[in-house]
Amino acid sequence: MIEVKNLKKRYGDKQAVDGVSFSVKKGEIFGILGPNGAGKTTTLEMMETLRTIDSGSVIIDGIDVAKHPQDIKYIIGVQPQAPAFQDKTRLTEVIELFAAAYGEKVDPMAFLRDVDLEDKAKSYVENLSGGQKQRLSITTALVHGPKVFFLDEPTTGLDPQARRHLWELIEKVRDKGISVIMTTHYMDEAEILCDRIAVMDNGKIVAIDTPKNLIKALLKRGFKKEQEVEQANLEDVFIDLTGKDLREEK
Amino acid sequence: MKSSWKKSLFTVWVFVRINTKRFFRDRLALFFTLVFPLIFLFVFGGLNSGGGDISFNVAVINQSETQVAKDFVTQSGDSKVLKVNKEITTIEEAKEKMSRSELDATIILPSNFGTVAEGAAYPTGEAEVIYTQNNQQSASALISVLDAQFKGLNGTLVTSVTPFTVKGTQLNENSLSAFDYTFAGLLGFSLIGMGIFGPLNVFPELKKMGILRRLSTTPLRVWQYFLATMVGQAVIGVISFAALFTVAILVFHLEIVGSWFELVPFLLFGLVTILGIGLALGGWAKNERQAAPLSNIIVFPMMFLSGTFFPRFLMPEWLQNISAFLPLTPIIDGVRLIATEGKHFIDILPQIGLIGVWMVVIYVIAFKVFRWE
Repeated sequence: MIEVKNLKKRYGDKQAVDGVSFSVKKGEIFGILGPNGAGKTTTLEMMETLRTIDSGSVIIDGIDVAKHPQDIKYIIGVQPQAPAFQDKTRLTEVIELFAAAYGEKVDPMAFLRDVDLEDKAKSYVENLSGGQKQRLSITTALVHGPKVFFLDEPTTGLDPQARRHLWELIEKVRDKGISVIMTTHYMDEAEILCDRIAVMDNGKIVAIDTPKNLIKALLKRGFKKEQEVEQANLEDVFIDLTGKDLREEK
Repeated sequence: MKSSWKKSLFTVWVFVRINTKRFFRDRLALFFTLVFPLIFLFVFGGLNSGGGDISFNVAVINQSETQVAKDFVTQSGDSKVLKVNKEITTIEEAKEKMSRSELDATIILPSNFGTVAEGAAYPTGEAEVIYTQNNQQSASALISVLDAQFKGLNGTLVTSVTPFTVKGTQLNENSLSAFDYTFAGLLGFSLIGMGIFGPLNVFPELKKMGILRRLSTTPLRVWQYFLATMVGQAVIGVISFAALFTVAILVFHLEIVGSWFELVPFLLFGLVTILGIGLALGGWAKNERQAAPLSNIIVFPMMFLSGTFFPRFLMPEWLQNISAFLPLTPIIDGVRLIATEGKHFIDILPQIGLIGVWMVVIYVIAFKVFRWE
């Protein structure tokens, strides 16, 4: 579905992305991990037509991003790092606007139902919580039925309940056969959610594999945690105490 | 793609519909675009409603006991031309008020005013008008007014022959009142408000929040976004103009001589042109900090030089020659020519041509400098 070859981008004297290559299959969740400044977001933005490509190529569903950016826009959906919507706009109107940007007319309620926001249909976007905004943003990115879905740090700043809810949503998107490419700083998230992971550092990919294989490879090299692995962690305690139900600040 | 043209316009239509709804939910935007120009209209209209009446703020200090002097004082109290400040009785008080320009001049009737000199058949006297340097104009006008009054009085006392006289005849033709100029200027002011400050305030904010950037990942084209903004502003413009015209006609007795079918399209033509400036500035500016100085550099000179607040004929000629070529000037002139002078499109082709040239230039720039983030 996606073929990235030797992708490069330079800002001044900094080589932000330095020869990145990977491929993503149909219906796969592909995670890009890496410390801040590793080049994750720049890589995504080049794939999303937001940044020009210095050299290398990105082919999505057989279309070259650099050569046909306008065609690419019809088959990708983009969830930005901090989703924002113009105020004084109802949720249904946001969906209508984004569908119209693709020249499409859709049933807004169906898309709101997909992300459990039908109760908020008539609210203004400024009255949504962080998690609700993320969910609205996801559904607006899917209004035109894209083949590839990009998410940039989708769960940053969300409470554990909202994170789990979002994971389920992302899995649902994957199950529709859409390829998902996401960045994250949370290793637990990557481990649970991603089918395959690329770890980036200094503009280069240092490892690509499934989370399980990456862990196995590390253990094979003789890595041992000092502590015995416990059967539960603090997050399990938190979820046990507060439940899995979504909370919304009114 | 089939009917892709129709699809593109559908996109524009949905953006217009939802963004116009948004505008009417925003009380602050409503106030500044619809109510603010109306307040200006009342303020400036009120200033001008005195029409052609000229009056002078004066003090009358009477040092004479004669009947003639007393009559003069009562008459001047009833006069429309003289607004007499009755609280002032001494020259010192009057001088102080004059130095603060609260009075235009002071009329002094000396103690011998109106006395009958020995051996004379009728009373004589000389009134004195004192004024400060800053009030020379109004004082000399006042002196001729008093002169004329005394001539009438003289005529009743001494019969004389006046072989040469002047007669004034008022023509019953419409001439432009100060309000006609003010109103055309006000429309220009509201055009700037909607056309320039509209996008200039909105675009940088949308960029800062990343909203335009998000839109740029969709197939939405810049021309679609511009066209949607344009149609939306035109709708708001029609409402705002309707309010201004209604108040001007009902309250300030503005007489529209020309055709509405020419006036309305001309106003919209002007709005679209001016909106191009807003789209260019707002489309270029990355944030509010870039937008604010730009609006000061471009908008304010244009506002003053194009005759928004005071008519251009008051400017020195060299400045009139330059300001004639600003984009707003032919719009304001054209509105006045159609509305109050009943001119037709064919008569104002120079104005239309100049606006057209500006429109092309402005929109070429606007499309070139637009940035989604």
